[in-house]
Amino acid sequence: MAVSTGGIKKFDFKSYLANTGKNILKNREKYLLILPGLAWYIIFAYIPIFGLSLAFKKYIAKLGLFRSPFVGLYNFENVFADPAFMKSIITTLRINAGRLIFVFPFPIILALIFNEVRLGKSKKILQSIFTFPHFLSWVIVGSIMISILGQRGIVNSLLNLLFGTQPIGFLGTPSYFQPLVYLTDIWKSAGWSAIIYMAAISGIDVEQYQAAEIDGATRLQRIWYITLPGIKSTIIVLFILAVGNLMSGGFEQIFNLSNAATIKVAETLDMYIYRITFRGSVDFSFSAAVSLFRSTINLLLLLAADRIIKRVGGTGLLA
Amino acid sequence: MKCMKRFMCLFLIAFLIMGLAACSGGKGTDVKTQAPSESTGGGGDGGYERIVITYACPQVVEGYDYNTGDEYSKFILNKFNIEFQGINLPWGEWHNMLSTWIMSQDMPDVAIYNYGEGTHADAANFVRQGLIRRLPDDWKKRWPNVASVYGTTTLGPKLEEDYGGTYFIPRARFFYNLPGDPLANHWSLWMRADWIAAVGKEVKNHYTIPEVLEIAALIKEQDPGNVGASLVPISMDTSNTSRFFLEANSTHWNTFYKDSTGKYAWGAMAEQTLEGLKLWYKAYSTGILDQEFYLLTHEKDMEKFQTLGIAGVSYLGGQTADVERFRIDFTAYTGIDGSAFNLATLLGTDGNYHQRDLINFWGAVCFSPNSDDAKYERWMDLMEFTSSKDGYPGTQMGLKGIDWDYDENGEIVSLVPPGTLLAGSVGDAKYPSLGHVLGSVILWDDLAFDNPNIGKSFREESKALYKNRYDLSTPETFTKVDWKLWMHSTENMRRARGIDYATEFANMVTSATSEANLVELYNAWISSQMSIIQPVLDELNK
Repeated sequence: MAVSTGGIKKFDFKSYLANTGKNILKNREKYLLILPGLAWYIIFAYIPIFGLSLAFKKYIAKLGLFRSPFVGLYNFENVFADPAFMKSIITTLRINAGRLIFVFPFPIILALIFNEVRLGKSKKILQSIFTFPHFLSWVIVGSIMISILGQRGIVNSLLNLLFGTQPIGFLGTPSYFQPLVYLTDIWKSAGWSAIIYMAAISGIDVEQYQAAEIDGATRLQRIWYITLPGIKSTIIVLFILAVGNLMSGGFEQIFNLSNAATIKVAETLDMYIYRITFRGSVDFSFSAAVSLFRSTINLLLLLAADRIIKRVGGTGLLA
Repeated sequence: MKCMKRFMCLFLIAFLIMGLAACSGGKGTDVKTQAPSESTGGGGDGGYERIVITYACPQVVEGYDYNTGDEYSKFILNKFNIEFQGINLPWGEWHNMLSTWIMSQDMPDVAIYNYGEGTHADAANFVRQGLIRRLPDDWKKRWPNVASVYGTTTLGPKLEEDYGGTYFIPRARFFYNLPGDPLANHWSLWMRADWIAAVGKEVKNHYTIPEVLEIAALIKEQDPGNVGASLVPISMDTSNTSRFFLEANSTHWNTFYKDSTGKYAWGAMAEQTLEGLKLWYKAYSTGILDQEFYLLTHEKDMEKFQTLGIAGVSYLGGQTADVERFRIDFTAYTGIDGSAFNLATLLGTDGNYHQRDLINFWGAVCFSPNSDDAKYERWMDLMEFTSSKDGYPGTQMGLKGIDWDYDENGEIVSLVPPGTLLAGSVGDAKYPSLGHVLGSVILWDDLAFDNPNIGKSFREESKALYKNRYDLSTPETFTKVDWKLWMHSTENMRRARGIDYATEFANMVTSATSEANLVELYNAWISSQMSIIQPVLDELNK
């Protein structure tokens, strides 16, 4: 592939191609297996990238994506003129930063607990109980929350029965909205997300635990000195991905848990995009401008998180 | 072994590719991609070729096969030899779903566009881009019945003038029985007459907002129905609550209007809007308005009044066609006599009825520019029949000669036993297909005034409700359409129309800690919206 000419290696494209061809031919089954996934990415992830050009155009359906007139930054000017847009960014960052602090650690804690449960049967039962909510849609969770936390719901009825308190508007009080988002998120997703950490834990060499036990390490010490370092790289990767998702995510949840009373603290960027795209006039260019802005910020956040993790000695996500 | 591995590998790949293809099928379940049925030769009354027509509107009964469903749908579809493929648009998604299809040039052959002040700008945009079929210039000669109904909608001819041709056919609410101009809405107070009487107040057919609040406060205090902790004096969802406190008090609360100086102003800033908002806050903070009104869906606020019998007041639709049915259902669910269900008109604090002209239409028929001419022509033929003297009663009363007929005086007479449920849900009604789906151009509001299947007293009650909206209003509180404003469809206006007023005001009411705080929140919101509103005002006042 590379030929040495007097100390300087010169790239030989011909032999590179020949080697690649041979490699593909030799491993054709594997490459064939990759094909559907690759096709999926090209069709659903790469080709739609051209759609982002809409952010700089005035979309005219008859002219299509490519022939619609170019309007420069006009759509972005409109986006920034809308007071609701900046508010939605702040709301998104506030809610998702809270998610990183309050929700992100829970699957790790849960995985550690599962790992420490000795009886196989109870471990499986516990795992099933915690994983089950993942399969409920947010629409159902929203209805369940009304039954539990509504003014005539179970919690208020119990509070009234025990302490004679007046009904509390858990679902309509803006200050309760964020905690509600985190609690429902933990309830619904912690069990499912814990599976990844449990898979990472299962990859840790058992001999390390045995050696630690012989050395007299307590359970907590084994978790702290063996398990957590063992899954550190997984935690870092998932943390970087979560940071890269700070400007998006959670639309379905917010949409189903919010209402007119809480909308001021609940209109995230995704909710804003939904509102301007589908609730008002249909303006694909305006929506594309907001989406492009969101994706750019997400990318920057992801790169920044990766760089910071590397600076503090972690492995990072990107090479 | 190696051969087996290769076979497994190829099988897996084929499986994945097929899965991918199945998931990415561009048209998905779009009925249009299905091959039309083979021509069955001449059919129907007019020797029509068999044709498949896809149709979308929010009233299509989900899962119901109109082609074989009931005798009425079979009659009308066979008459025009149509294979009907209905697509139900959920109410809340009506505009955005249809607009997305139109923008993607993938709309069904026929659709009902949710035409209105807020959606006109989008419609104008679609027309400019050629995304809606333009009807031929001679269409009024070819389909004269449709044309005469179209002429009464006001909107139809206005749009034609604006667009330079016909793209939409608005469906008329009234044709023979137009109550007046401007047209009043049917939205009415639903009130428990027995509770009103029990708290010592007069049962009548109109109340001002403060009167309703006073009655509700007395109901809360005295609980005349012995409902207990479940009692909800006023139960309405967010949308109806904003209608109740704001629309009924401030005619232009969510739009622009010409003020006394002749300049355009923003209705949200009007004094009466703030006054209505304060009343809303008062009702909420004193506990007479449902404390979780913001969680209620349309059916749920109706449920508390009609099904559970735990609400004293609600503000909901009051169509003539339904006033009797409301009472029957109320009695069936609650066991309380229908006379306890009082319908009334809501007036503002000034004692006047407030409303902007409803305009004589609801939903507009439009056609795909990409489908065959034969499809729109066939549907126009069908509409020509349903807007004829022999056709229009059928959309509400079923089959002529079986369910209804004309007597020697030309009056419609019913041929079904009293109490027969002609239209309604599958399993209950004789003809679940009855309604506006199968080509109605004259809507139910009209025939309901003459429909002998509805008790005369109920029809008279409805007429009285319409009448007092005219008697109890002034031209300033019950206004005619300002077509300049209605047709204003600039980018700025489109953005301004996107403001969700009901949600914004509901949020202020639930967030406020006192009336003074409410005013602060209101003023702050008004200021924050000026970047969107001012450009529109500048355009209108230019």
